Amino acid sequence: MKQELYACIHAAEFPAQALLRMHTELESQPVAVLEGRAPLETVCSLNRLAQLKGATLGMTRLEAESIEGLRLLGRSEETEAAARAVFFECAAHFSPRIEAASQGTACACVLDIAGTERLFGPHETLAQRLRAALALAGFRSSVAVSTNFHAARFKAASTRGITVIPDMQEAAFLAKLPIALLGLDEAHAETFAVWGIRTLGELAALEETELVTRLRPQAARWRDLARGALPHTFQPIEAEFSLKEFCDFDTPVERSDSLLFMGARMIDCLVARAASHALSLASLDLRMRLAGSLAYQRTIRPAIPTTDRKFLLKLLQLEIAAHPPQAAVLSFTLTAQAGQSSKVQLGLFAPQTPEPSRLDVTIARLKAIAGEDRVGSPVLEDSHRPGSFRMESFVVASQPTSPAYVEKSRPRLALRRMRPPMPVRVQLFAFKPVAFGNREESFKVAVAYGPWRTSGCWWSTEGWDAEEWDILAETCSGSTVACLLVRNCAQNAWSLEAFYD
Amino acid sequence: MPSASALRIQIESSLERRFPAALTPVPRTIRETAPTGIQEVDHLLDGGLPVGAISEVTGPESSGRTTLSLAFLSQRTRQGQVCAWVDACDAFDAESAAASGVNLRQLLWVRCRSIATASKNKPWARLDQALRSTDLLLQAGGFAALVLDLGNTAPEHGCQIPLATWFRFRQAADRTRCSLVVLGTVPFAQSSAAAVLECAATQVVTGCETVLSSCCYELRTERQRFTPQPFAPRIMGLRKPPASTWSATSPWQREEGA
Repeated sequence: MKQELYACIHAAEFPAQALLRMHTELESQPVAVLEGRAPLETVCSLNRLAQLKGATLGMTRLEAESIEGLRLLGRSEETEAAARAVFFECAAHFSPRIEAASQGTACACVLDIAGTERLFGPHETLAQRLRAALALAGFRSSVAVSTNFHAARFKAASTRGITVIPDMQEAAFLAKLPIALLGLDEAHAETFAVWGIRTLGELAALEETELVTRLRPQAARWRDLARGALPHTFQPIEAEFSLKEFCDFDTPVERSDSLLFMGARMIDCLVARAASHALSLASLDLRMRLAGSLAYQRTIRPAIPTTDRKFLLKLLQLEIAAHPPQAAVLSFTLTAQAGQSSKVQLGLFAPQTPEPSRLDVTIARLKAIAGEDRVGSPVLEDSHRPGSFRMESFVVASQPTSPAYVEKSRPRLALRRMRPPMPVRVQLFAFKPVAFGNREESFKVAVAYGPWRTSGCWWSTEGWDAEEWDILAETCSGSTVACLLVRNCAQNAWSLEAFYD
Repeated sequence: MPSASALRIQIESSLERRFPAALTPVPRTIRETAPTGIQEVDHLLDGGLPVGAISEVTGPESSGRTTLSLAFLSQRTRQGQVCAWVDACDAFDAESAAASGVNLRQLLWVRCRSIATASKNKPWARLDQALRSTDLLLQAGGFAALVLDLGNTAPEHGCQIPLATWFRFRQAADRTRCSLVVLGTVPFAQSSAAAVLECAATQVVTGCETVLSSCCYELRTERQRFTPQPFAPRIMGLRKPPASTWSATSPWQREEGA
């Protein structure tokens, strides 16, 4: 039968760790996390520096504020949830079987690492790599390895660093741990206190029969726990892979620089997590909660999935610059969709095309210059309305058409549109234009071809009814121009629509 | 009797102060060209517009500049290459481009917007947008052709574009092998342009009394820096630059032989 082997990871003071993970600039400062409704907030979590300063759990805000240099942050459930997902994801790199073992403000999980020696080496090595991976993700944790589930859990919760409990020595390693680890109710805890039982070792030394007689059968379970001998049925959880980062700001953020500073950190985390699964980021979904109950949402979709941090940050910067939030930002959520890393096989004789990632940044910059809807590819509408088109986003075709054959044909007359059309006054003779112009220019019609009547959509407000004339006209300077003159039949208004050029 | 080479060295050394290497052929850059698809124009330009250089197509309205540019883009996009049209005047007509054979999916169109406060006499906003957009596209690379449409920009405004800007465009076009075509009423790029073409309308052909069927245009090369024939005889004193006429049919006219 295969021997059981468990590794427990325990991250104490998780609310503080989750916040400090996003606010890296506070890592070297004493930080306490407050929860509850103002003004009755109490400290629920704090880092080591805050403990050294004299802060303790359960302190009121007033007491905490009296400690000089102590930074106070509000607890954020969403930040913790995002951090917890990252925590479990890191653990999932070492074993697919994970059971959650969080208690109180700590985040903990137990990994079934039986049979992983060939992958990660000895247990100590695995524990070190596990702890290093978590440290890289921004978590300070302790790791304990044992053949007993509960022994690993107790040891990780009560000691710092890495502990490997040899087989059959669980009782010895647990002996000095406090009895509070068992999670006893108040009455039984008091009973044990009266008996002078304060450690697991002292509890394990008691006679099982005597103990059960006095404290009913549950006492036998406590005694087995204290000896590190209680068996456990492993209940693995399905670690969900979601690329989401959240940050709740203490004070409303108005400057985009601050947002980008946070965004850069989030993108770094998302890229690292996606890359660890051999994936890239296909899209980034920005959501912000703004002051005044406003919401902000934008989506950044690169041409190809990428793991280029600088490129994604540039897209984020351009997107925020093009669409700045309408109010101060209270929280910032960045969710990414994972995509497969694409590889493009380039050909020696293939036509040159813009590099997709660079083109994305260029188009974003062009949109910032010319306008969101004024950059793209024109697409002709399925309509008889003259000059109708719509703009679509420009995408370079992955497989451009073959350059083998180029059709030879005569060039076609092209129009240069006037947007908006220039209103003109027209002189008619025998229902044909003979001269037209406005205050600045006047044209004498040499030849007028037409009229070409066009109408449509009469059933809607976007209907048109027009009369087109192809005009050859002479300008004041004596040059000849070919132009398109249009009469709006509904309003009997003439306009110069375009020049043949 | 001295040999020919000795004579050449003797003459060159005597003229050295005034004409360095007077009888030695100067090495010339032969630049790659891209055809415009108009046979007469390609013949005039010895193959087409230069690749990786600035070409200026100038002329007044109805002189065929836009038709020529669209014909050029048509050739480039049909070969699977990506092109861009920076439209300072927002005058581009997508229907005409499609009728000319331009693959619109391969074309990036930048429509410079007018600022509400800008008057007609102060079109700096559009011009500035167009120049900045062109700069970005040239620096990005990968575009085979880029048309900077300043066709409706007044000469007095276009001529105020700094020479440094054109020089930068020339460098970027050379580096990214992009044919930058500048449409305008007069030449703007000055010494940075590799080719300056002047367009003019000659006559309008009517198939029948009621339909505009085609237009004839004339094209003159005002400047062509890189000719592919390095040793072609030069006729000094030719005051009139080479010219060619070509015609464009209207989109509704059936193709000959079709």
